[in-house]
Amino acid sequence: MTQSPTIQQVQRSMAVRQFFRTTGLALVIYLIAIVYFSPILYMFLSGFKTEFQAVSPRLFFVPTLKTFQKVLGDPSMWRYLRNSILQVVLGTFFCLALGVPAAFGLVFGKFKKRGTNEKIFVWFITTILLPPVAVIIPLYTWFQAFNLQKTPIGLLLAYVGFHIPIVVWMLHSFFEDVPVEVMEAAQIDGCSPFHQLVRIAVPLVRTGIMSAGLLVAVFIWNEFFLAFNLTSIATATLPVYMSRFSEQQGMFVAQLSASSTIAVLPAIILGWMTQKALVKGLTLGAVKG
Amino acid sequence: MKSNTHGWSFVLPAIIVVAVMTQVPFVMTLIYSTLRWNLARPDLPIKFVGLQNYIRILSFPNFPQVPEFYSTLWQTIILTASSLVLCTVFGFLLSVLLDNRIPGVNVARTLILGPFFVMSTVTGVIWKTTIFNTTFGWYGVIAKTLGFTPVDLLSYYPLPVIIFLFSWQWMPFFVLVILAGLQGIPLDLTDSMRIDGTNWLQSTFQVKLPLIANHLRIAVMLGLIFIVKEFALILVTTAGGPGTRSYTLPYEVYMTVFNASDVGKAGALAVMTVAVTLLAVNILYRSINKRRTAY
Repeated sequence: MTQSPTIQQVQRSMAVRQFFRTTGLALVIYLIAIVYFSPILYMFLSGFKTEFQAVSPRLFFVPTLKTFQKVLGDPSMWRYLRNSILQVVLGTFFCLALGVPAAFGLVFGKFKKRGTNEKIFVWFITTILLPPVAVIIPLYTWFQAFNLQKTPIGLLLAYVGFHIPIVVWMLHSFFEDVPVEVMEAAQIDGCSPFHQLVRIAVPLVRTGIMSAGLLVAVFIWNEFFLAFNLTSIATATLPVYMSRFSEQQGMFVAQLSASSTIAVLPAIILGWMTQKALVKGLTLGAVKG
Repeated sequence: MKSNTHGWSFVLPAIIVVAVMTQVPFVMTLIYSTLRWNLARPDLPIKFVGLQNYIRILSFPNFPQVPEFYSTLWQTIILTASSLVLCTVFGFLLSVLLDNRIPGVNVARTLILGPFFVMSTVTGVIWKTTIFNTTFGWYGVIAKTLGFTPVDLLSYYPLPVIIFLFSWQWMPFFVLVILAGLQGIPLDLTDSMRIDGTNWLQSTFQVKLPLIANHLRIAVMLGLIFIVKEFALILVTTAGGPGTRSYTLPYEVYMTVFNASDVGKAGALAVMTVAVTLLAVNILYRSINKRRTAY
């Protein structure tokens, strides 16, 4: 005697199948994510090992803060850290200070000739394409001539010049989303162009400014090529310090891991904080550009 | 707005800084590329030699032997193209997977995004010492427990290893952009796909893939621009070696100026690097645009 299943039975079996499908999928996704992230995870872990524990790869050990204490007790580490922070803070500040008005001017500013703003915008974009090797030789000779390697100002200038186009490119689309009527109303009310920017446009696009600033901060924090060639020991940043570890084959793994953790953590945290705004800035900027 | 020309006052400061730090040096590089100028030979005066540096790089002096430039160019193309293909294919598949509504999927997304924010020097050093090292790394240890002798991957397969590392670093960026595209697909469309009974393959590759073509384009373009520039990872992992087998154009420029001190030749190489980059971007842009208008 076969009985056709009731509605409830069908629903139950479907729910069960759905449950297994979701669980299976979830396990696969978690596994991929963990495997993908594992080199960084293992680096975080190894920072809490002693040098002896870190010689052979293992996951279970008694954690210690000794290695971090040793790394942070090293004055040269602090010098690199301080240089990096200086470059990021000042670099990001100047990039925004120059890039935000530029993006605003390109969207709302008036030029004598029509289409000038379009041309300038394209010019900014093309500078993003320029690889740093195309400029490194003259920059290097200038830096030698004016002794700029010994001061942070030289590298800072290079960073500002190289990252303003990214700010302009990302913010262009954000400013375009601001209705022209808002600006016109402000102008009729007697608002000067400068106040239109500071009082009205900037508050309206602050998520964009935040994401552009964070992206530039991450880029400067991680930048290696210019820092490597345009600094002296006194002004070098963390990426340069980290590159020194490449010669010590498998030695000082714990120290390497602890230093790497310090070098990587700020960028990862900043990056994670900004991922939503980053997507908007990157995709909008590119779709319209 | 009928206000006068206040555009320049906002834009000019940025233009000046960008021009001084990027355009002026590039023009200088163009000039350098026409000079005979070797920092290691102060006895030879700096002299205008026209296109001789370019001819020196491109010519075949002892014919069957291919000059270094061509192998470097080829390696740059292989590295960039393979990384881009890997990033696009796996980035898309992973994005489709991460597009599912599953508890904790945000944590997974965040973890996968991680490597993108790690500085290249750390990526290189960490993989080199904790994973690829034949005695102390995971690869060496696992290989030994499985009973075979680990070979030094970095010296035997430098290009595949670097391609792998580039992809590891840049795929998260592809996922970030592609996932944004997938999540922008309206829900009623996915619902109607289900009602129409499309299977997974159809809905993924015939409906979703064309819909996110624009996002794919952005990811590939930006990926290309940034991967061609990559220098740090090569320096810390293989240092261009063994020999010159993992040289790329940026790396060769660096070696020519800072090791061989040949400013003129390095300038010419740098100019050709820019030309190759622009050419690649152009070709890619056109081919993708053509594809897009076909829909």
